[in-house]
Amino acid sequence: MAIVNSDSVGERGKKDARRHREKQKEGVIKNQLPEIFSEEAIITGKGKRTVKIPIRYIEIPTFRPAQNSGESYGIGQGNGDGWGADNEPGIDYIETEVEIEELIEMMLEDLGLPNLVNKPAKQILVELGFKISGKSRSGPWSLLNSAATAKEGIKRFWGYLRYLQKETGKDELSCFDVLKRSNGILKDALEILKDSNFQPQAKTFEPFPVFDNEDLRFHKIKKEKRPESQAVIIAMMDVSGSMSIDKKYLARSMLFWLTAFLRDIYERVEIRFIIHHTDAKLVDEKTFFSTGESGGTCCYSAYELAENLIDTQYPTNQWNVYLFHFSDGDDFDPSRSTEALKKCLNKDISMFGYGQISPEMSIEKMLGKSNVGDNNLLGVFAKQLPIIHSNNHGLQIFAGKENCPFIGVVINDKKQIWPAIQEYLKKGRWDNAGK
Amino acid sequence: MRENELKRLKQLEKEIKRIAEEEGLKTTDIIFEIAPASRVIEGMAYNFPINFSHWSFGRDYERTRTIYEHTGGGIPYEQVWNFDTPKAFLAESNPFALQVLTVAHVYAHVDFFLSNCYCRSSRLSVDIASQARNAAARFRKYEERYGQEVEKIIDAGFSIQWHQHPDFFRKEPEEEKVREYLREKSRNELAQLKTPSHLKKPDPKRIAILEKELMELSERTPPEPTYDILNYIIQHSSKFKPWARDVLSVIRSQARALAPNGATKLLNEGWATYWHIRIMNRLLKEKLITSEEHGVVNIFNAKVTRESDNSFNWYRIGVAFFEHVKERWDKGRFGRDYEECEDYFKKIHWDTGANKGIKKIFEVRSAYSDRMAVEDLFSDEFIKQQQIYIYGQIKDADGSVFREKVADDPEIIRTILKRLFTFHNLPLVTVEDGNYDTHQHLYLKHHDTGYELDTMHRDKTLEKIFYLWGKKVYLETQHEGKPILFSLEGDKIKTSNNIRKKQPL
Repeated sequence: MAIVNSDSVGERGKKDARRHREKQKEGVIKNQLPEIFSEEAIITGKGKRTVKIPIRYIEIPTFRPAQNSGESYGIGQGNGDGWGADNEPGIDYIETEVEIEELIEMMLEDLGLPNLVNKPAKQILVELGFKISGKSRSGPWSLLNSAATAKEGIKRFWGYLRYLQKETGKDELSCFDVLKRSNGILKDALEILKDSNFQPQAKTFEPFPVFDNEDLRFHKIKKEKRPESQAVIIAMMDVSGSMSIDKKYLARSMLFWLTAFLRDIYERVEIRFIIHHTDAKLVDEKTFFSTGESGGTCCYSAYELAENLIDTQYPTNQWNVYLFHFSDGDDFDPSRSTEALKKCLNKDISMFGYGQISPEMSIEKMLGKSNVGDNNLLGVFAKQLPIIHSNNHGLQIFAGKENCPFIGVVINDKKQIWPAIQEYLKKGRWDNAGK
Repeated sequence: MRENELKRLKQLEKEIKRIAEEEGLKTTDIIFEIAPASRVIEGMAYNFPINFSHWSFGRDYERTRTIYEHTGGGIPYEQVWNFDTPKAFLAESNPFALQVLTVAHVYAHVDFFLSNCYCRSSRLSVDIASQARNAAARFRKYEERYGQEVEKIIDAGFSIQWHQHPDFFRKEPEEEKVREYLREKSRNELAQLKTPSHLKKPDPKRIAILEKELMELSERTPPEPTYDILNYIIQHSSKFKPWARDVLSVIRSQARALAPNGATKLLNEGWATYWHIRIMNRLLKEKLITSEEHGVVNIFNAKVTRESDNSFNWYRIGVAFFEHVKERWDKGRFGRDYEECEDYFKKIHWDTGANKGIKKIFEVRSAYSDRMAVEDLFSDEFIKQQQIYIYGQIKDADGSVFREKVADDPEIIRTILKRLFTFHNLPLVTVEDGNYDTHQHLYLKHHDTGYELDTMHRDKTLEKIFYLWGKKVYLETQHEGKPILFSLEGDKIKTSNNIRKKQPL
């Protein structure tokens, strides 16, 4: 009966959709971080500022039947031909772009990391250049403080004006007139004014600055220094024959995120890369991740090189030093490596993070409970350093006690990247340490 | 819409109404509102033309809008409400021919609203549209005052909103009345038992049970198990301020108003599609639309009713269903002779010229729900003809998902469809005791209908119920064939075998 044009256009949908997006982001933190962390595309996508991640639509929970894999899932019609992999994203997912910065922020929030800044971040004074601080009566012309100088000039004008009035008894406008005519030179002005033929010409009274040398004001400058936090990450990786591509991928993922976090915490972060088999060398980032060599493993070579680097370039009174080492735990000379590690730990470094990537190693073996563990580095560390072993949902953690900033984790699977990073960056781990 | 188009559409609407009436459809006045697609989508997402604010509505809005804008799919071509004066949206971006089709489609929906016994039941309820509009304004005020608490209450209410009594016609009785009825029942039985009679032996055991029952009855809440969890919580939770009670009551009454639509979706969409095709054909025949316009309609119609390999296409199966039923009853393919005939050749050529098709489909639209339609009229031939199948999703080692046909046996399809169409595809859960342990703990029971509950959703739903109830919540359910009891207090879920013992009365 009635067909009418609509007059109301809803905005509610958009507003509520925004709220849903917010909740999705909260959901991302809680549920999807481990997945995002191990997403290869993020790690290798160099210089990319955003990542695409599939975000689930948020559901209202209801009592519902359990769904077992492979069991009935949906209803279709037709002959069902032409099926392949189900490449279309399911209806419950939407791909959305998130900035890496934003992700890191969310992760930091999740980790409760800001405290880390207060505690172990050492600050040093950095020269930032020059800064204006106050005024002075002398200086180069380039630093002339024109505003302050003009102010002085106006003061002088009034001074002269009052003086002229007082000396000659003439009115303000006449005094102004002669001061103007004499270009602010008091002596000349006085003479003109005393001349009996003097006729004032000015119609309006406009104060103007009169300068004497002593009225000039200059900017005073001084060198600016500011306390700034800086950190160096010395990343070490075993590139011996036993480190497979998969293992290196895990190491690379961890390093990517650790670096990203520390960059967020410190104003300045430098990263140095050391690869080693039996010998260690400093390399650039690309080489670090792409080198695959054969041969044996001597971790001490890397530790000794790192120690040297700290001594010569990154003294710990100026730098927060983070050492990360990834290896599969094979070592030809574990006791020498332990000695070299102890030396590093005694350098007042912020942390030595050791990631043992050993998918096949059993924890008994690792702890030397069975007799095979002699060449296994983490096992040896655990015996020779003040270390407590714990197990967090299957993640084996070897954390140093007070004054021993060592964290060792065993990573078997990419799912453990996020928990491992959480362990590395856990706040207040050494809060009681006498640092 | 241009002035002359609007004029013509108004004219065609009158013709459509006339044709609908000639075909036997019930009609009433309908308000058609021409609106931007986004407004139509909003109406779809929010269930009502104007409704309160919630992120889940926003989610549905965004999802439909995204699909519409990026793929042109999910065309918001119609949205119609079963109000006292039915109201429909016409998406202004649609071509003219599609507007005409939509008007025809809406007329058939309205006939369904006016005739189907379940949909009629929801017409009797309060003016749900203005209730929703008023709720929107009220809830906004609550939000200003109580902030995110409002969202939390809505979240929790939505979680259990569909747990109502399976009977749409039922009005939830007052607890005291139920108690009085049960008391009366036990009293009567007791009186009979106590009357000396030579026909039966005295039964002291039964007498003891009944006397205990009578004693307990006044203390017991609910007096008998109830399906309407939300209603029970609204009435009995000690936690709520009036505003929270208001929010939950609105959620409950909206769910109750929408439930009959949910239970008749297949029939309703099938019916509307069945009739819009016929009405459009008549408009062409009477030269009220051009054959070009009819062509546009046909293309659209083919899109809407095409087979879908991964979802249940309500339009396709719905319209085919009515065509199938009409053909069967036209040819007399019903009754004992036909059912018992074992001669295949004879059966496929069966035609008694009964010509009862039209009568039958009108009967189905008046009296059936989707579940009844499947149970009664989804014949093996129909399921095979529609090539309906069930698929499973199988995860590969590398995580990619494959679909695989797992069943196309008509018996299995029927069973699954029936489950899907029964009780909103929800497990049956009742409130058994609202004063469990005499500590006002809430004891819920999931009744075994052949499956276990999804664990993650089960726990999350329990959290929501706990949030509403404010005290310990129990859920009795099954695990690996054995009864098991979950309890939730704070954020700890515990399990035990300590099922409540209940004496059968």
